Amino acid sequence: MDWIIPAVNLKLILPEIVVCLFAILILVTDPFLSKERKIWSAHLSWIAVVIAFIANIRLWNLQEATFTNMFLVDNYATFFKFIFLAGSFLIILISMSYLKREEILHGEYFSLILFSTLGMMLLASGFDLVVIFLGLEIMSVSLYVLAGFKRSDLASNEASLKYFLMGAFATGFLLYGIVMIYGSVGSTNLGQIINHITSNDAGSNLLIWAGAGLLLVGFGFKIASVPFHMWVPDVYQGAPTPITAFISAGPKAAGFAALLRVFLFSFTTIKMDWTMIVWIMAALTMSVGNIVALAQSDIKRMLAYSSIAHAGYVLVALVAGGETGVSSALFYLLAYTFMNIGAFTVVIALGRKGQDNTKLEDYSGLGSRSPILAILMTIFLFSLAGFPPTAGFMAKFYVFGSAVKSGFTGLVIIGVLNSLISVYYYLRIVVLMFMQAPVTRTDNERIKVAFCAILVLIISTWAVLQMGIFPQSLLSLAQASVSSIF
Amino acid sequence: MFQDYAYVGFFCLIGVIFVLFVFFLSRLVRPHHPTPDKLESYECGELPVGSAWVQYNVRYYLYALIFVIFDVEIVFLFPWAVVYRSLGFFAFLEMIIFLAILIFGLIYVWKKGALKWV
Amino acid sequence: MLTGVSEAVYYILAAIIIGSGVMVVSMKNIFHSALFLVLCFFGVAGIYILLSAEFIAAVQVLIYVGAITILMIFAIMLTARLYSAQIKQSNEQVVPGLIIVSALLVITIFALSKTTWKLSSQAPETQTVAEIGKLLMTTYVLPFEIVSVVLLSALIGAIVIARRD
Repeated sequence: MDWIIPAVNLKLILPEIVVCLFAILILVTDPFLSKERKIWSAHLSWIAVVIAFIANIRLWNLQEATFTNMFLVDNYATFFKFIFLAGSFLIILISMSYLKREEILHGEYFSLILFSTLGMMLLASGFDLVVIFLGLEIMSVSLYVLAGFKRSDLASNEASLKYFLMGAFATGFLLYGIVMIYGSVGSTNLGQIINHITSNDAGSNLLIWAGAGLLLVGFGFKIASVPFHMWVPDVYQGAPTPITAFISAGPKAAGFAALLRVFLFSFTTIKMDWTMIVWIMAALTMSVGNIVALAQSDIKRMLAYSSIAHAGYVLVALVAGGETGVSSALFYLLAYTFMNIGAFTVVIALGRKGQDNTKLEDYSGLGSRSPILAILMTIFLFSLAGFPPTAGFMAKFYVFGSAVKSGFTGLVIIGVLNSLISVYYYLRIVVLMFMQAPVTRTDNERIKVAFCAILVLIISTWAVLQMGIFPQSLLSLAQASVSSIF
Repeated sequence: MFQDYAYVGFFCLIGVIFVLFVFFLSRLVRPHHPTPDKLESYECGELPVGSAWVQYNVRYYLYALIFVIFDVEIVFLFPWAVVYRSLGFFAFLEMIIFLAILIFGLIYVWKKGALKWV
Repeated sequence: MLTGVSEAVYYILAAIIIGSGVMVVSMKNIFHSALFLVLCFFGVAGIYILLSAEFIAAVQVLIYVGAITILMIFAIMLTARLYSAQIKQSNEQVVPGLIIVSALLVITIFALSKTTWKLSSQAPETQTVAEIGKLLMTTYVLPFEIVSVVLLSALIGAIVIARRD
């Protein structure tokens, strides 16, 4: 039997190995830690993320595949890994005080966050549909459990169950899509798929279309786009708040990483024109997200619909395609990660044990109770709404700019109208915070923010303003990361 | 090869037909006088307590979950074991890594007390 | 190969799969549904054998028939309310569901019938287990290792969800 050892370059997969090893280390050491020392698991996990981040920096400007062409390191994947690792880092920091407050500080939490991050990194680097599928599975399985981590809370249980049922269903679609593509191409490797499509004029092959459609459903679920968004509000509302922030940042970006890679790289638009379908999806996603967000009275639910709407804006970038489109999508996802995690950090800071305070009324008078938190929240909300000089403005500017350049003016008009609608519900909170008296409440004590949460607020505010005022450095980074795939 | 499976299929068919045939046969010859006592669940001749559909202990479920995971792990051992001789050290190493990851899981499960029946 | 015979076997298996599948979603007693699922899984294993994928067939029996359904039956027996209850297996979404499913069915049939299939001229592998083993250890070594991480995270999930504290 002929047998060749595949060429394996472990240096390329080093960030993943670090994350995985630390996740296992936390898992095994945690049961041995006494209750007061559980926080060590948290420290280990952010150390893991930092080490992986450094290892990832060393991979910048590398373009190399390993594991028989299944794992590709290019700037595109590396850029996405920066987003995931930064997001996970911030989430781990804000989780510490939250878990202590809710008395659910268990090491598994951090282990699962790391596993989920590992799954995202595999999604970004996977150059084979099998690896992409497995990455998606690791990410999702961990998230299902994390969403239900507050076991005594029924809403959290409900979130977990709903997320799991819908997620498993969507995974089924994805798997079916992979099967159909394998059936018509004879390979799951993205490189071979593109070869097959460009050489055989497979755009007329219906099976590939069916497969691509099913893949779109699977990924559409993960990125929370309409009409696959039904799970979002309940899961976002019920899950522990740091996990809500996590789901809206990393996994969404990871879903886009795989979606953009598969659709723009493998199903090239020259041979398969799927832009119209995504055009409709983008328009629907933006509109449904923003319009339904208007009616929400709970901030987590409102941010859930806002998260749907933002997925729509990124889909606009996918429709635009090309180098500018993808680089604007990357910039958007990076900006969204920081502004969204920032906003959720403020939401967490307002909560008390067993009482999340996520009703919109809880925000009235925040300006007088805690002016700094209120100002920071305003910055994040302005950024989400897309006001200058914040990251959100520049991100939308680039996305819409790239879409206009590609000739999708109609979609851009819909997008701008949607941004206008969104201003209403974001500003409503700002108005509540500064122009309304606080609701009389029993626990009108001072809001104490843990040190780590302050750190997260500083980092996200800095990032939001940096990307808003001096976007050039990060934008050129995003551009450098997509030049490799075109 | 297919012939071998045809035997298996034939065997299954015979099995099914045999059971149905026996039931049919006994139906032909047996007397049929149901009384309420006869229709009761049999509980060692005692009067039955409660429904026969008892609720099982949750612990069974945890064991079943852990069992499924290690069952899947074992499935991956088969193809490896078949070719192990011709593959040598590299394959051995791969399997060690594969197993190690799950063995750490086992340590965790053990330490968590999930394997204890109390 | 007797094509006629294997074709007949295929149709019998397909009838078993579809029939038991329908029973799974229509039985009033969910326990009976689970038992029909076993039959359905057996039918699928038969299809795999027909396709000369013996290892997959064995895995199908081992994992799905042996483990997954046991898990399901445990889950049913744990929840007293589901156990012997008569369950309505439909809801008010029947009509939209039916429309979407039939649309999917039409699209799938259309796509499958219009496709020019890639047919391999090679004879089917006789040593499937060895071939799979070789592929897992060489070409698919990365997915192979990732699978153990997937299993590990599922294991943690099981413990976290079922832990008592």
